[in-house]
Amino acid sequence: MDNSTQESRLRSEHSVTYDSPHPIYAMAFSSTPSLASPLQRIAVGSFIEDYNNRVDIISFNADSSSVRHQPSLSFDHPYPPTKLMFQPNAHSSLRKSSSDLLATSGDYLRLWEVRENSVDAISLLNNSKTSEFCAPLTSFDWNDIEPKRIGTSSIDTTCTIWDIEKGVVETQLIAHDKEVYDIAWGEARVFASVSADGSVRIFDLRDKEHSTIIYESPQPDTPLLRLAWNKQDLRYMATILMDSNKIVILDIRSPTMPVAELERHRACVNAIAWAPQSSRHICSAGDDSQALIWELPTVAGPNGIDPISMYSAGSEINQLQWSAAQPDWIAIAFANKMQLLKV
Amino acid sequence: MDGVSPDNEAEQSQGRDLGVASSSSASTGLGWRPSQLGFTPYIWSGETSDNSQTLRVVVRKSLLARLTKEIVETYQICNPQFKYSEELNPKRYLTSPSVGVLNDGYDNVNSDLILTVNYVLVNLERNRRYLVKDVLGHGTFGQVAKCWVSDTNSYVAVKIIKNQPAYYQQALVEVSILNTLNKKYDPEDKHHIVRIYDYFVYQRHLCICFELLDTNLYELIKLNHFRGLSLSIVQLFSKQILHGLALLKEAGIIHCDLKPENILLCTSVKPAEVKIIDFGSACMEDRTVYSYIQSRYYRSPEVLLGYQYTTAIDMWSFGCIVAELFLGLPLFPGASEFDLLRRMIEILGGQPPDYVLRDAKNTNKFFKCIGSIQNGENSEISTNGRSSYQALTEDEYEARELKKPSIGKEYFNHMNLEAIVINYPYRKNLPKEDILKENQIRLALIDFLRGLVEFDPAKRWSPFQASRHPFVTGEPFTHPYEPPLETPRVPVVQAVKVDHHPGGGHWFAAGLSPNVPNKSRPSLYSSLHFQMVQYPPANSYGSVGSHGSYNDSVGLGSSYGSYGESNNMFAYYSPVGPSGIHLLGHGSTSMLGNSPDARRRVIQYQPGNGRGISPSAGTFTHLPLGASPSQFTPPSSYTQVSASSPGHYGPTSPARGTSHGSPLGKTSTVSQFNRRKNWGCSGSPQTQDITFSPHWQGQCPDSSIHGEGTAQVLSSSPSYLQSNTDAASWKLRGVGANQKMTCLFMPSSNSNLQSTELGHDNPESCLSLPDPGDWDPNYSDELLLQEDSSDGSCLATEFGRSMNISSTEPFVGFGRFNHASSASPPISIQRQNGPVQAYSNVEMDSSPAHDVQAGYMRSMSKPFHLIPRMLQNSPNRFGLQSVQRFAHGRPTQFSDWNQIKAQAPPSGFGSGGPRSPRNSSFSNSMTWGRRVNPPVSNIPPASCARKDYARID
Repeated sequence: MDNSTQESRLRSEHSVTYDSPHPIYAMAFSSTPSLASPLQRIAVGSFIEDYNNRVDIISFNADSSSVRHQPSLSFDHPYPPTKLMFQPNAHSSLRKSSSDLLATSGDYLRLWEVRENSVDAISLLNNSKTSEFCAPLTSFDWNDIEPKRIGTSSIDTTCTIWDIEKGVVETQLIAHDKEVYDIAWGEARVFASVSADGSVRIFDLRDKEHSTIIYESPQPDTPLLRLAWNKQDLRYMATILMDSNKIVILDIRSPTMPVAELERHRACVNAIAWAPQSSRHICSAGDDSQALIWELPTVAGPNGIDPISMYSAGSEINQLQWSAAQPDWIAIAFANKMQLLKV
Repeated sequence: MDGVSPDNEAEQSQGRDLGVASSSSASTGLGWRPSQLGFTPYIWSGETSDNSQTLRVVVRKSLLARLTKEIVETYQICNPQFKYSEELNPKRYLTSPSVGVLNDGYDNVNSDLILTVNYVLVNLERNRRYLVKDVLGHGTFGQVAKCWVSDTNSYVAVKIIKNQPAYYQQALVEVSILNTLNKKYDPEDKHHIVRIYDYFVYQRHLCICFELLDTNLYELIKLNHFRGLSLSIVQLFSKQILHGLALLKEAGIIHCDLKPENILLCTSVKPAEVKIIDFGSACMEDRTVYSYIQSRYYRSPEVLLGYQYTTAIDMWSFGCIVAELFLGLPLFPGASEFDLLRRMIEILGGQPPDYVLRDAKNTNKFFKCIGSIQNGENSEISTNGRSSYQALTEDEYEARELKKPSIGKEYFNHMNLEAIVINYPYRKNLPKEDILKENQIRLALIDFLRGLVEFDPAKRWSPFQASRHPFVTGEPFTHPYEPPLETPRVPVVQAVKVDHHPGGGHWFAAGLSPNVPNKSRPSLYSSLHFQMVQYPPANSYGSVGSHGSYNDSVGLGSSYGSYGESNNMFAYYSPVGPSGIHLLGHGSTSMLGNSPDARRRVIQYQPGNGRGISPSAGTFTHLPLGASPSQFTPPSSYTQVSASSPGHYGPTSPARGTSHGSPLGKTSTVSQFNRRKNWGCSGSPQTQDITFSPHWQGQCPDSSIHGEGTAQVLSSSPSYLQSNTDAASWKLRGVGANQKMTCLFMPSSNSNLQSTELGHDNPESCLSLPDPGDWDPNYSDELLLQEDSSDGSCLATEFGRSMNISSTEPFVGFGRFNHASSASPPISIQRQNGPVQAYSNVEMDSSPAHDVQAGYMRSMSKPFHLIPRMLQNSPNRFGLQSVQRFAHGRPTQFSDWNQIKAQAPPSGFGSGGPRSPRNSSFSNSMTWGRRVNPPVSNIPPASCARKDYARID
């Protein structure tokens, strides 16, 4: 590099770091920055080996590339949240002015209202018949077309679809033969899930008797841990296998055969996110401390696909979110840090 | 990395086409690329870092793993009081209904064991556990589950018999028969009979463990859109099935339900083979108790007529199967027994011999006597009126039975067997020389079939005789086959054989052999070649039928209800004493199957006629497990039976208490052991092609039958019928046919590989019959899968694209397989030519075929072709629906998909359809979807769409 100082300046302009007192796992961008200000909320969940965990709300100013922790908005959460998500579309009846709805998953699905200066627990959505036992939720997804609908995935092999306005279960499906680890909506009534049984299945709420398996991991019962559905082009999804450095890109029209496998991570991949603004770009992060941005080519070379850009963090990256509201920004979490990177 | 290049011309020729991006991305994030701000350009760090990577020690699991795979442990660390119980997980029921009402709640109302995913069946004696993974099928007998055996690291098929005495006993018969066949007769597994591994009782259910096989031949034909398989495949399968049948004959066992559904592909071996399954209806040859046996299309005349039967009935069924493999449609798709017989008579040009008609109990239902019954023993059946019996017309039947007989559609209208086979459309692209060869083999096939679908059970070839036929051996077929002497087998009972039909060779019987080159042949047939069973006139069997004990209501058939579910037939056996059976009542059922393309066999319950039979000496039924059949013979009663003492079948003393075949009907036999999985077609691009074969697409539904060229066929066909007196010799006809075909196909052979399917898109060339040539441009006989190709072609039509799909990729193990031709845009040439039309215009009823077509066309017209899935789904009962469901009618977002898929975008992201990368990889693994091949094995058609989840709320 010809000018290291300039580069570091550039880098600092294009990345922001938030240091948390705790290790961070879950993380979420609010859907829209408020009209009044360029501030966007980011929720950050702790990973503490204790019943009491924390969710912090950070406000992020993209203009000044700065973040500010709002202690008044922090709240306790039982167990480390497995996922955080702000309500995707702001124009729902549920949304009140200047407040955001936040959902968290862990032992149960919870809804919180994040106001200007406080956070209120709105509801705890529990479908369990017994109080003694609990089947933790591994993930959930908020339907952005039908924002009253949240689907959760559980280790009890089911997916549960909630109507959060009514606070009732719309349906519960035994989605897999083993634990379900992630769920993603494709459209209002179509979702997909991944499981310890190694399959990606697509479900349509209009026909609850059937599902469609569009991928199975090559080694039977190699768990699939995460699933990302390309919102720009719903034909494509990405999934990751446990302890694998691969990102598997699927075309739902050609079940079972991935259209691509991205294999440049040098340790297991922990998170994936499609670009909100482009159907061809996906970001991934993993235990090799790297975040990679890939551009899916029309034709893959003989040696596989190289990412187009990379970022090296200080340690294993556990989480990755791509802001839908400000698609120039990607957030990663490693150790106690959340870092925002401009792309 | 090439950038966004919407029209990347090079893409098809290089590397793996991801089908991703480019053009479609234009609409969304056109040209968006991440800038190198927070990120830096990617630099491949190369080997060094790799080394360092290998040194990396994973000290702890990632948080991701700790919140997914290990979340329970994590939560327990967070909170020692945390409790999770897998037991409380909702269960996915595989059995329906899933409410436990019988057997302490273990069984549902149908006495089926209620299965859930991961349910464990245990053979306590062997301490072996069977982990239920899925249900492959169910029927009256119970269910068949696909189970994982961790001891052996393999899947098996376990038949879980209903918890009812009749089913239990009958299943024991199946166990006994299979054990005998496997261990005593076929220890090395060389005779194409399914292997039985284990059996045990669990929760009061008899569980029989079989090897897990693949799809059945009916499904295979269906995958081919009911177009026939290549002759070499037909030959291969025929030979293998004959191996099995020879074994059955040797063991004196009658399968009693041979049909394509009960012949399964076994793809775990190479080359693929077939195996005969489902001995749930089988019986010992000397204990033929049930008269209502065999699935209708494959039912032999003697069973239909209520005559005594032997292993020869399996040979009839076998002939029907061979024909169906070739034609893609059943030879005798009788919608009723009347219809069945009518078709036999029409297609075969003869009728059952008088000696059968004289004694069969159901003769009056289908025939009227026009001569003296006392007519000589040697009365010859023929169409010249010498027979004493004449088949009833539809009106006559109606008058007698007071109801109209069901008549099914005609697929081979008014054609005899010869015409049907000769005129069956050729696969396209068949080179000229191959056409000659094909014609020769077709003639051999006709000769072969004539020996199998032979009305006279005494003249019908034995497995041994059939296996020497040139069609099976592959020897050149030069003259009508003269079967070698069947080695006389003198098992338990052997009656003196008398040939009732001197002079009645099968050629004659078929009305076929006016000019037999070999003058001595008739006598050969009559006197030497057949193991003649003596059927004394008016012998026992006739009396059986007519003497009401078996069947009071003839119309209903004396069925034992094998197909009826919950027909109240229970046979209670005392395991100890020879109590025999008490048929408390039974519903005689008949299967409906109106048209081959809707072959779901609907079960029809007919009013049960209760009968009380108190069999004298129970015999076979008490077979101890694993015992060989020969041990069980109470020769006395049994000999008498075959010796035909009518008294034995008297109402009061049915000599035998048996139950084989009986209650264990299998309505869902279709599904038998493995409907899905690894049958490579499924899910493979090729399979897809089947689904979308251009042939069907191209056809216009209202294709008309062309008169020209038909004439030839028509004119010749009558002569076949008259051939007894006709001068046209067999040979002459053969030659004539050859010539005809030759000239007919000159044009197409010119067009050769490249133009192939083309004809079909041309309405003029619409065929009423499936044309095997249409789905496989480069029809290669080496392996079956090739039947399923025409991959590219469908794509081409479907997407309006001409892509060479795997055109250069040889399918491993399949030899040539060039899709290039199929992918080329339709350019119709040859079929326009008159001569070519001729063959496709065989006089036949076009409507059925159109129905089929229409079906396909409908499905093809759906905008969303998840092609691969369609394919996969086809073998799957649920597949299609779900795919389509998923595909269509989705309102908003997905419409985009649909369009894209239907329209064949130029390239890149938008381009739909399977692209070369996948295809190529598939093609490499395309060996029948064998399990060893990960990519294919991953394509469980089943997995694609199955009932794998259930609603809980």
